[in-house]
Amino acid sequence: MMPKRVLVVDDEAHIVQVVTLKLRNAGFEVITAVDGEEGLELATRERPDLIITDFQMPYMTGLELCQALAKSPETAEIPILMLTARGYALDDDDLATGNIKDVLSKPFSPRLIVQQVQGLLDDTDGDSQSAETTSEAA
Amino acid sequence: MKVGTFASLVLVALLALGVFLLLGVLLRLGFVANMGPWSQALTISIIVAAIVGAAAVPLGITSDRWLGRLRDYLSSQGNADSTTAFCAPTWLRPVADAFTQALEQYHVREQQLSNQLREIEISHHVSEAERRQIEAVLHSLRDGVLVTNSFNEIVLANERTAEILGFDVQKAVHQPIDRMIENEALCRMIMDTRDSGNTRDVRHVEHSISSDPKHGEPEVAYDITLACVEDHKQSVGGVVTILHDLSREREVSQMKSDFVSKASHELRTPLASIRAYVEMLVDGEAEDEESRQEFYRIIQDETDRLGRLIDNMLNISRIEAGIVQIEREIVDIKQSIDRTVQTLDPHAREKGISLHTKPAAIDLCVEGDKDMLYQVVLNLVSNAVKYTPEGGRITISADSDNLTRSVVVTIADTGLGIPPDALPKLFDKFYRVENYKRIAKGTGLGLSLCKHIVETVHHGQIGVESKLGMGSRFWFSIPMRYAGSQAAA
Repeated sequence: MMPKRVLVVDDEAHIVQVVTLKLRNAGFEVITAVDGEEGLELATRERPDLIITDFQMPYMTGLELCQALAKSPETAEIPILMLTARGYALDDDDLATGNIKDVLSKPFSPRLIVQQVQGLLDDTDGDSQSAETTSEAA
Repeated sequence: MKVGTFASLVLVALLALGVFLLLGVLLRLGFVANMGPWSQALTISIIVAAIVGAAAVPLGITSDRWLGRLRDYLSSQGNADSTTAFCAPTWLRPVADAFTQALEQYHVREQQLSNQLREIEISHHVSEAERRQIEAVLHSLRDGVLVTNSFNEIVLANERTAEILGFDVQKAVHQPIDRMIENEALCRMIMDTRDSGNTRDVRHVEHSISSDPKHGEPEVAYDITLACVEDHKQSVGGVVTILHDLSREREVSQMKSDFVSKASHELRTPLASIRAYVEMLVDGEAEDEESRQEFYRIIQDETDRLGRLIDNMLNISRIEAGIVQIEREIVDIKQSIDRTVQTLDPHAREKGISLHTKPAAIDLCVEGDKDMLYQVVLNLVSNAVKYTPEGGRITISADSDNLTRSVVVTIADTGLGIPPDALPKLFDKFYRVENYKRIAKGTGLGLSLCKHIVETVHHGQIGVESKLGMGSRFWFSIPMRYAGSQAAA
C-alpha cells in the first residue's frame, strides 16, 4: 500500500523540519513548502492526500492558500489542517474557507499532529470507500 | 444782614408795636389817665423798644456768629480728613449735639455703604475672573461642552462643540437647539433629559454624530454625558451635555489588540519549536546523536530568540510608559561604533562582508545613555550584516552637524535594499519585510526599539533611505546636549 502523502507549508524552517520528521517516522511521505505560493504550486502538481499549513506566511497566507485550493476541482477536496500562532481562535468565516478540517494552535504537540493527520485521512478513506461501495452497488 | 440780627430787629419792632397797642388799650379803658393819650403811649413804646433793642441786637449778632461757626463745622465734616472740633455755647449745645450725632450716624452709614460697594466690586472682579477661567477651560477642552436652559436654548457652547455639531458659536447662543443641531437624536436626548427633571442622575449614551451630514461628513462615535442643572429654586434650570470623542480610544484599543495579537504570534512561534523539539527528544524521535545535538541547538536558539523578544518588548514598553532607567552621561559615539565593529566583525567576515568605519576628525560626544546608544548602533549594523549578501560592504560613519548641534551616525550597506512600500512601516512594532523573512530571523522589534531610544529617550531623529537592489542607508542623529539639561540650566 502506497504511503499517504502530506504537504507541510510553513515559513518557519524548524517547524517544517520537526513536523516532517514526526510524520516520516509515522510512515507518511512528506513534501514541504516555505510559503503559500509554493504550497499552491506543489499541491496542484503533487496532489497530496492532506495539507498542513501555517496561517500567517509571506506572499500568500494560509487562508489565501485554502481559498485558492478550493477554486480548483483537483485540489478542492484535499483536507487541510491549519496551524496558527495567532492569539485568538479563527472565526467561523475563516473556518468555512476551503476544506479546513481542523485548526491547531501553536505551540502544538507533534504527537497530536500525527493523530490528527491519521484521523482525517481515515475519515477521507471511509468517505471514498463508501462512495466506491455505492457506485459498485449501482 | 444776618438772620439773627434781622430776627432781633423784627423782635424789637414787634415788641414796640405790642407795647404801643397795650398802652393804647389801657388808655382807652382809663387805667392810665394822667398821660396824653397817644403821645405818652408812643414815648413809652419807643423807650421799651430802645431798651429791648439794646439787649436783643447784640444777642442776634452773637447768635449769628455761632450759627455761622456751626454751619462751617458741619460743612467741614464732609471732608474725610477734617479734624475740626466744635465747642458750642450752652444755648446752642443741644442743636450742635443733635447735628453731630446725625453726622456720626451718617458717617457710619457712609462707611458701611462704602464697604458694601467695595465687597460688591471685589466679588464682581472675582466672578469675572472665574467666568474667564471657566471659559478658558471650556474652550481648551478636547470634549464638546454644551449648556442649554430650561427652554432648550443654547446658553453656552465651546469651540469643540461647534466643530462636532457644525455650527457657529457666536450665532448659536440663545438659539433653540433644534434650530442649531441637525442631529435629531441628540436634540431629543437633551430635551428628554430636561423633561425628566431628574437632577441627581447623569446619563451616558454612546451615539454617532456627523458634523455635516448633508455633505457626507462621516459619523464619529461619541460618549455623550447628559446632566440636569439645578436653578436657584432647585428645579431643572437646563442641561449640560458633554461630547467625548471615542475615536482615539478606539484607535488605542485597536492598537493594543493588534500589539497583543502580533506579540502573541511572535512569542508562540519560537515556543512552538521549543515545545515540538522537546517532545521529539522525550519520545526518542531523534535518529542519532547528531540529530539529538541539532535538536538541542534548535531549542537553545529558539529560547534565545524568545528571550530577545521579551527583552525588546519590555524595553519598548518601558520607554513608552516613561519608566525606563536612563543613565545620562557624556558618550563618545566613536567608542560605540568601535565596540559594535569588534562584536560583529567576526560574523561579517564569516559572510565575506567587509566592515569599514570612517573616522571623524573631532571627538563626537553626545549627552545620552551609553548602553542604549550602543544598542542602536549594534542593531543597525547587525541588520546590515543580515541583509547584505556575500562580498558586500558596510560603511559606518559619524560626523557632527553644526546647524542642529547634533552627531549623525550613518550605516550604509550594499545589501538587498528595501521595497518602497515597506519604508513607511519599517520602524513599526513587529513589522518585517515579507520577502526577507526567510533571509534572516528577527523579532520585528529591533528597529522599533532603535526609534524609541533615539527619538523618545534622546530627542534625536532616525531614518532610512533605500533603493531595491542598491543597498540601504540608515542614519540617526543625537543632540550633543540633551534638551532637558539645557532647559534645567
